Amino acid sequence: MSTEKIELGLDTFGTLPRGDDGELMSYAAALRATVDEAVLADQTGVDVIALGEHHRPEFAITSPETVLAGIATRTDRIRLASGVTVLSSDDPVRVFERFATVDGLSHGRADVILGRGSFIESFPLFGYDLTDYEILFDEKIDLFHQLLDEKPTTWSGTTRAPLENADVFPKTESGRLRTWVGVGGSPESVIRTAKYDFRLMLAVIGGGAERFAPYVDLYRRATEQFGTTAHPVGMHSPGFVAETDAEAKRLFYPGYKETRDRMGAERGWPPMRQEEFVQEIEHGSMYVGSPETVARKIANTIRTVGLGRFDIIYSTGGNMAASDRLRSVELYGTKVIPLVHELLAEKPVGSAFAR
Amino acid sequence: MTAEATAAEAFRVGVDTFGEVATDGGRVMSDAESVRLVVEEAQLAESVGLTDFSVGEHYREGMIDSATPVLLAAAAQATSTIRLGTSVTVLSTQDPVRLYQSFATIDALSNGRAEIVLGRGSAIESFPLFGYDLREYDQLFEERLDLFTRLMREDRVTWSGTYRSDLDDVRLHPRMPEGGIPTWVGIGGSPESVVRAARYGLPLMMAIIGGRPERFAGHVELYLRSLEQFGHADQPIAQHSIGLVAETDDAAREALWTSWEPVVERLSRERGFYPPTRERYDAEVESGALFVGSPETVAQKIAFVARANRLSRFDLKHDIALLPRESRERTIRLLGEEVAPRVRELLADDRGTWSFADRTPTRITRDGRAVHA
Repeated sequence: MSTEKIELGLDTFGTLPRGDDGELMSYAAALRATVDEAVLADQTGVDVIALGEHHRPEFAITSPETVLAGIATRTDRIRLASGVTVLSSDDPVRVFERFATVDGLSHGRADVILGRGSFIESFPLFGYDLTDYEILFDEKIDLFHQLLDEKPTTWSGTTRAPLENADVFPKTESGRLRTWVGVGGSPESVIRTAKYDFRLMLAVIGGGAERFAPYVDLYRRATEQFGTTAHPVGMHSPGFVAETDAEAKRLFYPGYKETRDRMGAERGWPPMRQEEFVQEIEHGSMYVGSPETVARKIANTIRTVGLGRFDIIYSTGGNMAASDRLRSVELYGTKVIPLVHELLAEKPVGSAFAR
Repeated sequence: MTAEATAAEAFRVGVDTFGEVATDGGRVMSDAESVRLVVEEAQLAESVGLTDFSVGEHYREGMIDSATPVLLAAAAQATSTIRLGTSVTVLSTQDPVRLYQSFATIDALSNGRAEIVLGRGSAIESFPLFGYDLREYDQLFEERLDLFTRLMREDRVTWSGTYRSDLDDVRLHPRMPEGGIPTWVGIGGSPESVVRAARYGLPLMMAIIGGRPERFAGHVELYLRSLEQFGHADQPIAQHSIGLVAETDDAAREALWTSWEPVVERLSRERGFYPPTRERYDAEVESGALFVGSPETVAQKIAFVARANRLSRFDLKHDIALLPRESRERTIRLLGEEVAPRVRELLADDRGTWSFADRTPTRITRDGRAVHA
């Protein structure tokens, strides 16, 4: 089986980097740095750039489709994704309109990734009640699924005004936006994704990737039962590439620990220890190291779990230097990706759903 | 050089698009092609020296500008000097928080070139689509204008209202520059809207799409007096009208009529006004609000309304349903290369009773300081 179609991407939340002077960049400069990273990713052969939606001060990107539109102008082939769009606190009609516009701007390169988000800041900000967490996502994913047909839509629910024969514009050239659902670990979400014929994106931020293989199996079995398509499954995890393993760890760890401890404190986690970090790199879901190390780890995960797409979230190292982050993007495109393809070609993927 | 001449040189001339689907060699372009055409036209507008490029917000077949900020962000990365704004943003059915976030993003991607025109919109499709009651049209706008200006002018915002959930000590990001981005209030002819713009100390954008444009001089007077009464600094006044520029008056007049007639005919049925006739069209071109003709004719007409309505900026809506793309491009090219320089020349020669002060939109910060954009 050909492994050429395996997609390898990069995800960012737009964490504020430092300039050459060591100073923390402004939000505006951080957004421009994100565009520069995406342009370099496009030039070096990365398949997808995915931008997360967050409403926390650490991250510059709150409106991913707006940034993707800027990237669309400056790139030619890279796919443009969100990672994820927090659908629960948004309006499916507006989400469709924004992505259909990005898709038009980019000659069909838009990738919608819907999720509930692992953070909850968007709920109070946009006036949603966390106790409606389930129903908000249930209803909105249902409406979004209907809108994807690009025909007049009639819908009613409790979380949004009803629609009666509402036709939404612009229409896409392909007639359907490519849509994924980001899933953190709930089997119900996997089954729902299969039911709607969406693609599955597994968000794995720690622990062994192999424990997600059963989800891929569940997705495949569910699509068989629903009569939908077993699309290639994606996964995203934190990562960072530098010239050597030691260099990658040195640049990545301090900022990662700081961010992880700050957010962990909100969730009641103890501070991270260096041994845990090393453990995550060696046996867990942290893709940090030289191109060779990262490529081997990615190829191993793709093979073990049976994936058709893998992204590293390269912005998780805190406020690192913009130049180091750019270099990581470059190494990922020029070294890691070709090496992953080589490794997979040596030992073909056994999974039936890697395209 | 005299101060007046300098000010006349700073007179802003731009184009507006409502994301109308165009034709290309007789073929109706797809929505996606029309989306890309917006970016191409922004580049063209910049290359011919126009100062502003604005995109509307509509939710109906044949118009692809439903996600205005997305289109502007794409244009931001395709251009480097032209100002990027809206014409107009339907604030009543938008969430000011998302609006702030997306326009701060455009401002970042354009290195500070984002502007916004806030209005109630003359099209009402967005109300049922997003679940708003048309009867609350005005209250929605007032409340949202209050929140949006506070988000721009203050660092952290605590706010409560009727149409949106409360905000408790919220600091939005990405941050706009201090005081926000230049924000205009779009009006269609209601004196209340004029006074409201003045009350907020925001510049005025007058949408004049029919009748003699100089009748808005009364609104202008009201606006300037209101600004003074509210104790705000002078603000610029702009006008938006529909038009088409071609090599000759006849060519321009025929080119627009073909597209204008069916559009106005449809609107007349939807909104209950008289259907268009060729006589009314010709009258609009001769003395009304259609800016149609050769570069000299259109320049004379713009200079005339600039004097009558004390404008510092004029935006021409250059697209209309199914207009051939080459006709749109010709308007942009002639407007930038011939009309705009000629308007500035005419204004420098004879500025009438109004001094075109080199006024820039003011940003007002929390402590009441005015920051010039």
